[in-house]
This record gives sequence, structure tokens and C-alpha cells, in this order.
Amino acid sequence: MLRNAAIIGCGQTKHSGRRRDVSQAELVSEAVHNALEDAQVSMKEVNALVVGNMQGFGGVAQPELWIGDWIGAPGKPVLRIATGGTTGGSVGQGGFYAVMSGLYDIVVATAWEKHSDSKEAGATTGLLHVALANFFHAFGYGLSMKNLLATSAVGAAAGVAAYQARFYMHRSGCRSEHFDMVAAKCRRNAARNKYAHLQWPNCTPEDIHKTDVIVHPFRMGHVCPASDGASAIVIACENIALKKCKRPAWVKGLASYSDEENQMQSESGGGVGVLDPSEQMGARLSAMKAYAQAGIKDPQQEIDVAEIYQPFPSQELFFSEKLGLFDEGKAWIAMEKGETEINGRMPCDPSGGVNATNAIGSSALQRILEAGLQVMGKAEDHQVPKKVRNAVAHGWGGVTNYVTVTVLGETPAPRR
Amino acid sequence: MAYLKDQRRETMMVEGSWNIGAYRYKGSTQLQEYVDGLKEKKLIGSLCPGCGKVIVQPRNICGRCHRRMDKRMVVSHKGTITCFVISPPIEKGKYKIIGMDPVEAGIIQEGAILVPVFVRFDGADSNINTILLNSSPEQVHIGMRVKAVFVENPEGKLSDLEGVEPLKE
Repeated sequence: MLRNAAIIGCGQTKHSGRRRDVSQAELVSEAVHNALEDAQVSMKEVNALVVGNMQGFGGVAQPELWIGDWIGAPGKPVLRIATGGTTGGSVGQGGFYAVMSGLYDIVVATAWEKHSDSKEAGATTGLLHVALANFFHAFGYGLSMKNLLATSAVGAAAGVAAYQARFYMHRSGCRSEHFDMVAAKCRRNAARNKYAHLQWPNCTPEDIHKTDVIVHPFRMGHVCPASDGASAIVIACENIALKKCKRPAWVKGLASYSDEENQMQSESGGGVGVLDPSEQMGARLSAMKAYAQAGIKDPQQEIDVAEIYQPFPSQELFFSEKLGLFDEGKAWIAMEKGETEINGRMPCDPSGGVNATNAIGSSALQRILEAGLQVMGKAEDHQVPKKVRNAVAHGWGGVTNYVTVTVLGETPAPRR
Repeated sequence: MAYLKDQRRETMMVEGSWNIGAYRYKGSTQLQEYVDGLKEKKLIGSLCPGCGKVIVQPRNICGRCHRRMDKRMVVSHKGTITCFVISPPIEKGKYKIIGMDPVEAGIIQEGAILVPVFVRFDGADSNINTILLNSSPEQVHIGMRVKAVFVENPEGKLSDLEGVEPLKE
């Protein structure tokens, strides 16, 4: 790496289903101000900003033009990044690039989503903005509405998740009841995180099991909410980080890879060679690259806490395997033993994760932010009760194929 | 923070409509070849000269080895289910997909249970996402043998392939 960079401040908003008290710009400014305050950095000291939300969601085509004024951006370079659900991960990594390359000394990275600006449930309208061209051409080739509703329309992240879950169940032996356990854990963890959305203290797998089946193997209780919220981090170069922060979270490794798209009969209209959408080669490649940069040889021993992008509980299980935290097909057994609880051997999403809070554009940046909080020892009630040497943050999105992996640690990466 | 509009409950909203029917996106030429094949009740895929995979529906470039896939192959009507999900009985007024109620719009019958599946047709190295017909949720399993169901008079449309049904071998 050219030079070291670290997170020196974190800020986020309270997440909820409807933040009607603020506009999109005001929502983002809350997170940015909180991050600057946490870092003890003034807006004047910030050299550049990296921003982003899920493209098209919220119906604002160029949100950075609106939001710039509210986050101290006028007169400064602003880079907007949008990579679908991974946006936050890419925004965070964009911020790291800017500082590690030596281009800027202090950079603010912020990402957000404000679902409630659409009156339709969840992200439906947003999805139309994004995905219209993905399948609308198929109408020209006689796609029937029944097939569209049963297959193509559920081809987005939520639809593919159900198929991923079935593939994972088939090859690992895990059952739908295990998804109840993961979801209950996320709700309980979220109850300890004051910024989280779906907080449910003492939630049990039985509570989740009582909810309706939406499409087998998923129940309503397994699904993430659609949240309003924003997150921001302040990234600084080594000299400034050491001066400004007692315990910065050093960026030790970062990588992003994609596989072939995992959706079928969409986009180009052609088939894909990915037979199992839970294979997620992009996650494996990103993790290997990021660990190599961080000097991590055995992630099962050297990673202390993971923040995984898991809107659906099955995803926490198979992505933790792809990140090398458990052997292939074994994560659900470790979860059953309590290893992924806050006080477990390998805590996964102590913040409650995306399963409890999903402001889509922000979600992957929140994983980096939460991993940073764990390293800095500032996660308050959801701080893991052990020494955190390395934390891994994961983001998932794109055309359900694109992954970002970031490794943060208490010391900078070894020099090469 | 003083600039927060603490006193206001709602930000401004403006009513309006958006005619999404105005868009006329063009599909790929490979998609045209595929639907032309459906007209003759043929399932067409493309062969990769690099890895030897046959991908249905056909595509231009192999997603894994990035070679041109110029050669076309016809795969079998028989295939195997590799993945499935099961919907609960569809109720009127319960779901809204892209702004419409599928029961109200007459697209799906009330009480129907949909079983979307992944099918790998014999000779193909990719899955097709379609619907399982003439079966029940109790019957469906990974590895189940199925065959393609076409409409009586195919017209060269994606809807010519209605789904798949259990195959007795």
C-alpha cells in the first residue's frame, strides 16, 4: 500500500421505517455531522468527500448535487459511487483509495437511503427506477405477466435470496429453523444498538417461527426492514490519525470482485453459468485478496468479529463461510453452538446487521463503520467482550454478484 | 442542529404519474434467436469454445472464460430441478408486486400455490428459472425429473414456454 489510512470518526442516524421529520439532505447531514464530531474534525479540514446511495432509489437522479451543500462539500472534490446494494462498501473503499493513494489527507465517506420518500411498500418504486430496463425489454419478446411475477420480478436481491437459501440448505444440511435462530439473534443484537431499526430484546427463534411464510423457506420474520438512515466515516492518513485519535481503526486490506451475474433471464436476456447463486465467488476472491493484504493467513483464528451484509439470515451463514470464518457448509453448526453470538468465538453482526437495519445504500458502509467501532472499542452495548485485533466488513450487491470486503485492525497492515 | 425542520411533520409531496409504458427497450439478438427457437418448440443455447459449457438462453460472450459463443446448440426438453421455492396460497389484497395485485389483475388465481423452480435441461450447463406445473408442493424436490411444457401454438414469444411438469421415465 502507498500509505496507511484509518477511520478516526464514525457517525450514523437513528434508523427507522419513516424519518418524515427530515429531508434526504438533512438525513445525510445528521450522519456527517455526527462523524465529524466523533473525529473532532471541522468541515474546513475535510479535503474531499465520497458519497452514494443505491442508484435511483428515492427517485433523485443526482442526489449529490442536492446534498453537497448540507455536508460541507462546496468547493471540494466530490466523488459519487453507486454499485447497487454494495454502494456503501464501495463508498467506504473509495474513501480509503483517496487517502491511501496520497491524494487527500482527510476524507469523509457517507452513504444513505431514504425509503419512506416513496409511498409504495419498501423499495418497490426504487426498484422500478433501477430495474426497468433489466426486464422491460422482455415484454417486447412476449414475456407473460404470470411468468414475470413468479420469476423475473423476484429476480432482484430479495428473490435470489430465496433460491440461495434453498441451495445452501441442500448442500449444507441446514434447515429453515436455523434461519429463525439467526434472525432472532439479529433482533436481539439490534436491541443493544441504539441506532438499529428492528430492535427486539429477548427475541427467540420461536417468536420468529410464529410469523407467516412469505415464500418457503422464508418467513416474514426472516426479512430485513426497509429503513431510512445514513452513515458516515472520517478517514485520515497515518500522521493525522495518530494525532487526532487515540485508537483509530486501521485499514489493513480491501478488495472487491464480482462474479457473473447471478440472476437469470435478465439484463442481457442470456443465461448464466453460475449454477448455484449462493456460490458467490466474488466474496471468496475479495476475502482472499483482502486477507493477503492484511497479512492474515488463518481468518478463523485471526479475525475477531465480522460484520456481514445479510438482509436474509441464510446469507449470514453462507457468506461467513465464503469469508473463510467457518469451513464450507459448517457455519450453521457453529451458529447452533452459539459461536456467532456477541460473546461467542466468532461474533457475526453484533450490531444486528442488515437483517435488522437496511437503509440499502448505507448498509455496506455501516458494516465498515460497525467493524471500525469494534476495533476502536466504541460499540457501547454491542461491543464484543474480547480484544479485537482484526474485524472484517462485507458488502453484497450489484446484480447480486458484486462483493466488497474490508479488513480493519488495531495496527496498520504489514509493509510490503 | 438548528437547520433541522423540527416543526414540520412532512416534507413536501407532489402528486403525479409516470407512464412506464412509454419505454421501448431493445433486447439482444441472442434473445431473438431464443424466441425464434421456441416457435419450433426448441430450447436453444450457445456453446463456449473455451470451457465447453452450453448456456441456455444463448448469450454472446461466456461469463467465465470470456470467449465468443457463436455456435448454437439445441438442448433436451427433459431436465432436472436444481432449486425451488414455494409460495403460500395467493390471497387477494395481500400482495402488491410492481404496484398491482396479481389476483385482482387476473394474472394469478386466488388460492393458487406457485412453485418457481430452477431447471437444468439435459445438455445445458445453466439453469432456467420457470414455474412447476401439474404437480404439488409435496412432490417437488431437488433432482426431480421434469419436461418442458409449451403452449399449443407457439408464436415465437417468451410465454411459449409455460413451465415444466413432472416426467415419468
